[in-house]
Formats: sequence, C-alpha cells, structure tokens
Amino acid sequence: MNDDYLWNKSGEPDPQIQQLEEILGTLRYRPTPLKLAPRHSFMTRGRYLSLLAIAATVVVALIAGGFWLQIRRTEASIPSVAFVTPAAPIRIEDPAPIRIEDPFLSVSQPASPKRHPRLVAKHNNPEAVAAKQQLMFALRLASEKLNAAYRRTQSPTQIKNQHRAG
Amino acid sequence: MATANMLLMKPLANAAPEPAAEAPVEIGLVKAVLEGDRDGFSRLYDLYAPLVHGILLARVPRAEVDDLVQDIFLHAFKKLHTLRDSSAFGPWIAMIARNRAVDFHRRSRETVEITDDLPGSDKQEARAAEILELIRSLPDAYRETLVLRLVEGMTGPEIASRTGLTAASVRVNLHRGMKLLREKLGFTEGL
Repeated sequence: MNDDYLWNKSGEPDPQIQQLEEILGTLRYRPTPLKLAPRHSFMTRGRYLSLLAIAATVVVALIAGGFWLQIRRTEASIPSVAFVTPAAPIRIEDPAPIRIEDPFLSVSQPASPKRHPRLVAKHNNPEAVAAKQQLMFALRLASEKLNAAYRRTQSPTQIKNQHRAG
Repeated sequence: MATANMLLMKPLANAAPEPAAEAPVEIGLVKAVLEGDRDGFSRLYDLYAPLVHGILLARVPRAEVDDLVQDIFLHAFKKLHTLRDSSAFGPWIAMIARNRAVDFHRRSRETVEITDDLPGSDKQEARAAEILELIRSLPDAYRETLVLRLVEGMTGPEIASRTGLTAASVRVNLHRGMKLLREKLGFTEGL
C-alpha cells in the first residue's frame, strides 16, 4: 500500500486518513497568545561566566585588601624596635598561681594566661622600660605635688592665725 | 518488520522538501530572544506550539493541554540560555513537553483523580475524543507521531525536523501506528 499521503500528504489521498484528519482536526491547536512575564533578562552562558569571573575577582580583591589592611594595622601597633632581638634571651616565668588564704575563698585562682610573644617583646624592650620608668616617675612627682597642695589647703587658716597671733 | 525495512530503504522520491530552511530561522530567533527580543520568542511559540500541543495531547487529558503548553513555553523562555545548540530548539522543547507530561501524571496520581476527557459539544468532537483515546492506547512512539500527523496536520518531514527524530524513524512510526489504529478502528486496510 502506498503511504505517501500518510507521510507527506502527497500522492493519492487515503480516504480513511482524510476522514481521521477531518475528525481529529477538531482537536487541533488553536493559536492563543503567549503570556510572558513582564520582563525577563536573559543571561547567556558566556555572559554568565564573565559576570561570575568578575564577581570572583572582586571577592578575591576584597579578601586580599582585608588581609593587607590587617597586616598593616598589626605592623603599626608593634614598634619597630620590637623586632630587635635582645642580646640574651629573656626568660619570662609565669607567675605562680595566686592563693587566697581566706578560708571562705580557699579556691586557688587560675594561673594568668601566657603572654603573647609580641607583648613580651614589647615589655622587654629597653626603650619601653625607660618610658615606663619615666611615666612612673612623672606620676609619682605629680602625686607628691598633689599631696603637698592638699596639705596646704587643709591648714591655711590655722597657720595664718598662728602667724598673726605670733 | 519487512514493511518497516522496506519503508526505511525506500527513497523519498515524492517526499516534500525537508524544511531545512527552518533551522537558520530557529538559530536566528533563539539568538534574538537571548539578546532581549521578546517578539522573537513569540515567533518561536507560533512555530512550535502545535508540536508541543500534539506531544501533550498524546499524553495528558485534553483539558490540561492548553495550560501546560503555556507553562512549557514560559519555562522554555526562562531556560533558553541553557540551550547550547540553537538549532536544537525543537527537540529541546519537545523533551521539555514529554517530561512535563510525565510530571503531570506523577503528580496527578497522588492528588488528582484522572478523568477522561469530557465529550465535546457536538458529535464530531465526541468522536474525535474517542479516536484520540484509541491513539493514546498505542505505544508511545506511535501515538505522538500519529497525533502530530493526524491532529496537528504536520507532515512526516516536518515531524522529523521539529522533533529531531530521523525521517526514517518517523516514517516507520507513522506506518506502524496507522496500521495499529486501523485495526483498533475496525478499518480494513486498503479501503
């Protein structure tokens, strides 16, 4: 049997197929407008990859910048002398745990945490020690002056009266 | 089998020219749509809506087909950038339609009772629904090809080019499917 009509509608028409076409044609697709979403931006694979690459670069740059800033800040907080190694290594012994003799507080205090090597270096720095001593001296001097002033303000009338009486 | 082999070997002397010119149209349209031309997608919809409609009609209840066609094209519109080969838009959307039909049955089995298509208002539509049911009872490959041919009015070469199947496969499917349908309808071959 020749099935050209079934294949491409050419040749002698097959009445059975024509009948089926006529009946089934009632179910044929009826054009209806497509309702698309208001706006949809397409992203091609290439565009997507390039955007991804840009985003990755920005993230890496931000992370690197953050690291760099952190390193800069750390370097600024440590004086340059701190990197000078002392002639002889200084051993810092951890203080013994503080024991409180109060019977009500007989629990021993935990040992103080170990100092950070950088802090140790900073404290062992001779300049820092000298500065600390100067500061202490200045504080002591200020304290003495304050005491003297306080003493003067406490008994001025008495002295004056004695002077007058004398 | 012998008939199928004969069909496969038969030269397509009377065959209508393959719509080879359609491929560049698809490529151009897909490219235009990806560049933001929404009208291009409307043209793709006009070209391929009958194909999707036919594929769905062969698988899901008639009442669901129109909504599913819209859903499938909206999905395709959103996912068009994932289509690697622009010339394969037809096979791509056909596959989406088949998958969506499978999903429909998977979901409806759990929640919705599948009802037969309601008979149409007139006699011819009722008869059409009956024949469609017979076509749906045929094997998958035959029913899709037959619906595209008999309902949507596409020719064999058109079916082949739009679905991505080989012309030989479509021809065999049409021939075997038609033979089975004739048997079911009680037609005597060669009438």
